[in-house]
Amino acid sequence: MSGFEVGGLGFAKEAKDKYDVIIIGGGPGGITASIYAVQGGLSPLIVERAIEGGQMNNTETIENWTGFKSISGVELSERMAEHARHFGVDFVSSEVTGISQDGDKNIVLLETGKQIEALVLIIATGANPRKLRVPGEREFSGKGVSYCATCDGHFFSGKHVAVIGGGNSSMAEALYLSKIVERITVIQDLPKLTADKMLQDRVKALNKVEFLLERRVKEIRGDDKVRSVLIEGPDGKEEELETDGVFVLIGTTPNSEFLSSVVERDEHGYIKVNAKKETNVPGVYAIGDVIQKEVRQIATAAGDAAIAVHHAILDNFN
Amino acid sequence: MSEKLLDKEIRKQVEEVLSNMKDRVSVIFFVSKERCEFCETIEKLLGELSELTDKLTIRKVSASGEEARSLDIEMTPAIVPLTADGNDKGVRFYGIPSGHEFGTLLKTLVDFSAGATPNISEKTLERLDTINQPLDIKVFVTTSCPYCPKAVLTAFNFAFANSNITASMVEASEFEELSKRFGVSSVPQVVINSSRSFVGAFPEEQYLDEVMKTVAR
Repeated sequence: MSGFEVGGLGFAKEAKDKYDVIIIGGGPGGITASIYAVQGGLSPLIVERAIEGGQMNNTETIENWTGFKSISGVELSERMAEHARHFGVDFVSSEVTGISQDGDKNIVLLETGKQIEALVLIIATGANPRKLRVPGEREFSGKGVSYCATCDGHFFSGKHVAVIGGGNSSMAEALYLSKIVERITVIQDLPKLTADKMLQDRVKALNKVEFLLERRVKEIRGDDKVRSVLIEGPDGKEEELETDGVFVLIGTTPNSEFLSSVVERDEHGYIKVNAKKETNVPGVYAIGDVIQKEVRQIATAAGDAAIAVHHAILDNFN
Repeated sequence: MSEKLLDKEIRKQVEEVLSNMKDRVSVIFFVSKERCEFCETIEKLLGELSELTDKLTIRKVSASGEEARSLDIEMTPAIVPLTADGNDKGVRFYGIPSGHEFGTLLKTLVDFSAGATPNISEKTLERLDTINQPLDIKVFVTTSCPYCPKAVLTAFNFAFANSNITASMVEASEFEELSKRFGVSSVPQVVINSSRSFVGAFPEEQYLDEVMKTVAR
């Protein structure tokens, strides 16, 4: 059992037809943007399809958000959402199914068919877990292949799981899983882990984690559920590793598909922005994990938000 | 036992959410004599909620009685909200709505207080209208899954829209046998009529596409 999260869904009131700013995505970037918007005299709406805090909810502990030595991702999400609600920010729970422009107005279409307009649009849709794109991955998705350790870790109690990836998210999830599962094998395609050193050290200190470096996952195999992964070493030699579950944590891919005809993106789907965090469409800004940049962190998402709102106000509301 | 489940800060937030309740809602909490890990906690939780609004009535009822039979309670613990007119909308919580599912419970109470009317697109409503036989949607969740509430609430909205549809949240860790039967290893897993299932919190239209596949067969 994991406490009681009030969440934002219960607060969601009927959205109005018009706002100054519509923010798509309620992660740390979107929420920070909403707070700056209110403080700048604007009325913001956040449209969130799942839950406020976004990917932070999948992170067991966060230790690099200044002011909190250590805080759970869920709690930080709640606190950020509460901060926004305190300033009267409206939230609506919906997928955005379309965006269009009418003169200098942006129109956002919700799942329910409702249309909402705003002068400024801030895209803060973040990113989703990246797929391995190997045979068996799709077939065994939901049958042992998972992209969310906090969601699905429970089902692997006392079992052996493979964690694919050696970055921060993969090490953090390995730490989480280590409390549930019997044994973990981390499989990383590079010769070393890329996670922050402190995190690496913690995982290495556990006595139930084995590391297979320079190994590429070629296939996920099983019958009615996952039984093994086929991996290839640096010498091209293949071996089959028995496992009950495969947690794929190899980074993210941007949630920008629905914007393909709206704003300019790079070849990976990340939205291109200028120094003001504005896209190629005037009045449409993008922030956080969904934009083309090097460092994807809570802190940088919040930073993007402050910059975007500052310029959005200067360029659109004076 | 005097210590509260909900701390002061959360109580304040809950109070604010429940202040949106329009009409009364009664909640039936079904229990059985079997050992139940979270029954005491659920009872306490519901009790604390009813302290934070005057629009909520809680009744604890045995699952072996007539009322459970008439409401078709499949397992326990079960939480069944009813509208002010005593209408059952086919909505069930099987297991504890804690963690992220606590928000789902609060939202559902607010929805029921407004008559449990669906908040979905016209197009979805029209397609749901065509369902003229019983359809059961079970959404398996874990309480630490951030994508699950949306999947549960979408199913609840479908149930609001058509009285042939029943929709349940099933907390997977409390119903291991059932979870195993449906091969649940990722959540949310949505099981329709105990036959078809899919994994993920799909947007409304795609969600309905999956539901309709079962109807079409």
